[in-house]
Amino acid sequence: MKNFLKRRSVIAFIITCLLGMFAPMLMSGYPSDIVGAPFSRPIWWNTQLPASCEFNVTAEGVSFEWTKLPPAIFSLNGQVRAEAKKEVNIIWQTPQKKYLLSSLKGQNVYWINIDARDMVFKQSIGVPLIGNGAAHLFPCAGKYSLIIQNADTASLKLMLPGGRQELLGTDQRGRDVLWLLIYGIRTSLVIGIAATLIACLLGLGFGLAAGYIGGITDALVMRTVDVLLSIPTLPILMVLAGIWGKGLWQLVLILSIFSWMGTARSVRSMVLTVRESPWIESLKALGAKRSYILWRHLVPETAPIMLANIALGVPGAILSEAGLAFLGLSDPRLISWGRMLHEAHSFGAFTEGAWWLLLPPGIGIVAVCLIFMDMGRYLEEQIDPRLSGDKNA
Amino acid sequence: MRRSWLLRRIVSSLIVLAVVLVLNFILFRIMPGDAVSTIIDPNFSPEAKARLRQLYGLDKPILQQFFIYIKQMLTFRFGLSFLSRRPVWDELISRLPSTMVLMSSSMILSAVLGIWLGIRAALNRGKFTERLVLRAGAVTSSFPSFFIQLVLLMLFARTFKIFPLRGSLSVPPPSGVIEVVADYVWHMALPVLSLTVMGFGGWALYVRNLMVRALGEDYVLMAKARGLSEHDVVYGHAFRTILPPILTILLMSVPGLVSGAVITESVFSLHGVGTFLLEAVSGNDYPSAGAAFYLLALITVTCNLLADIVYGVVDPRVRIEGHNE
Repeated sequence: MKNFLKRRSVIAFIITCLLGMFAPMLMSGYPSDIVGAPFSRPIWWNTQLPASCEFNVTAEGVSFEWTKLPPAIFSLNGQVRAEAKKEVNIIWQTPQKKYLLSSLKGQNVYWINIDARDMVFKQSIGVPLIGNGAAHLFPCAGKYSLIIQNADTASLKLMLPGGRQELLGTDQRGRDVLWLLIYGIRTSLVIGIAATLIACLLGLGFGLAAGYIGGITDALVMRTVDVLLSIPTLPILMVLAGIWGKGLWQLVLILSIFSWMGTARSVRSMVLTVRESPWIESLKALGAKRSYILWRHLVPETAPIMLANIALGVPGAILSEAGLAFLGLSDPRLISWGRMLHEAHSFGAFTEGAWWLLLPPGIGIVAVCLIFMDMGRYLEEQIDPRLSGDKNA
Repeated sequence: MRRSWLLRRIVSSLIVLAVVLVLNFILFRIMPGDAVSTIIDPNFSPEAKARLRQLYGLDKPILQQFFIYIKQMLTFRFGLSFLSRRPVWDELISRLPSTMVLMSSSMILSAVLGIWLGIRAALNRGKFTERLVLRAGAVTSSFPSFFIQLVLLMLFARTFKIFPLRGSLSVPPPSGVIEVVADYVWHMALPVLSLTVMGFGGWALYVRNLMVRALGEDYVLMAKARGLSEHDVVYGHAFRTILPPILTILLMSVPGLVSGAVITESVFSLHGVGTFLLEAVSGNDYPSAGAAFYLLALITVTCNLLADIVYGVVDPRVRIEGHNE
């Protein structure tokens, strides 16, 4: 047990669990918050692209140096107050040209909502309608300023989401990939562990029943196992997910229904050997009840098998969940690694070359699976020392 | 003796098929709502609704529906698709070749590669070759298939632009038979290669274990003592004895390949049964989903049965034990 806790995979498992539990609490906001332009690169990748920046603009306007490529989005929104008879002009001064973004008259309060992606806005300032409007507003490096004429007070926000954002960039909706990745740990672990636990309990129950009661129960359970094993798994999971809905607990249930067979088989074979052993015979001779033998002797006897089965079953469940989510058969609101890959695949990560949408969730899935596989192998070797000796045979 | 063993295998396969059929029937009828609610607009007149129900046979008692359904499934007449309003069977048959090509070519390639590497590993025990083969196999087979495929797609279709991004034929398709075949091969290359890369590891490990055991047998020593060349010893004696389990595994790997094909077709947007099932499931097209699932189950069960039969034919011990059980 001491060696087990010192194992690297166990330490990694504990760290993953802690991350999954506590990291979402430490971060502010929600994973669905939009933090930047769609498909922004990770902040350390291609520093020619600008990082996101924001300016709070008052009536004095704002001016700044811009040396990088144009931002992905140019947006200005907020409120301007002025006397009704004066004409308020919002001017964007680039090193080459002046753009009159907006000219307002006749009110005391104006709500400004300008976005360079807006066709009407593009037409009004005279830039081509097709393509990135922000690129025309940032023609070259140099000094840029936003001037507000004749306003009494202004509280505007100039947002320039750049091509780089956060540690792992953003996805097609501008969400932070690192956030989604960390949030996905929770989903993967919950689904993997819950589905495997339920499956193992089902397997334990059926295995005990088949092995201990025997007779027709045994035949029935084992035929059911055979039948379930020969139905192609992914298609039936797809059909079930399509029919029963796609929520978290539906997925857990669906996955567990189709993964208890292996446990049932190994529990049954173990019970069959233990059932005939002398100490069970003597318990029977002493007049022990069937339930007593089952709960006090057979169930604890299966504990090591169950532990190894759980650890080895989790990767399968996580992979199945990821596969279903990748096919789009999961709740769109449920953030999971499979869902991230699905969205990357179906919403244009390939045309953008957005590798940062593929690698983090994929590596996450692989890492968690490897952790569980290593723990399971170790437990298996503890149960059956021949396995470790057999490795080099 | 032999006939009864064969009969038992066939009967148990038929039971599996029956369960699949019953599941298929029940699943699509216990779902929330109505089977035809996806095609019936609430604004339809009651007569129109009744006519649609009649068209899909939903006005009959449930038991009668069941028998009609069984008859349809056994004769491969799956009715009309809700989405395309075309016969499901026509749709399926147009997609079956693509899936079959994908599955069979990747199965053969990964088996050949894996067997060859497995034999190499067994012959070079304890050396670098063995470790390399086993490590590579373990790594490639523990990755989720769609992740590897997405990465390969990103690398070879997006960054280097060697292979196409999607589809099984160019749009518009090229003229001339040779061009079409070449185009098809070009489109299938990446899916098949990725499935091969992920499939060979299991084969290599399995064959290596079998070969190690076979090479330690007395008859191999005998063959060596007779002065046969290494090639003859390995392929003529040792390999021949491990053929029966290899044949069985070849057929037993089909269920996994079915799952792999569904995912692969979806990654590469191929026109196959897997994408058909996915479209049907996500579009609530129940006749099509049921038919596609039934077809995939049929393939799986048939291959399992074939695996048993082949194993029984090449290894008589199975038949006898099966009989005595």
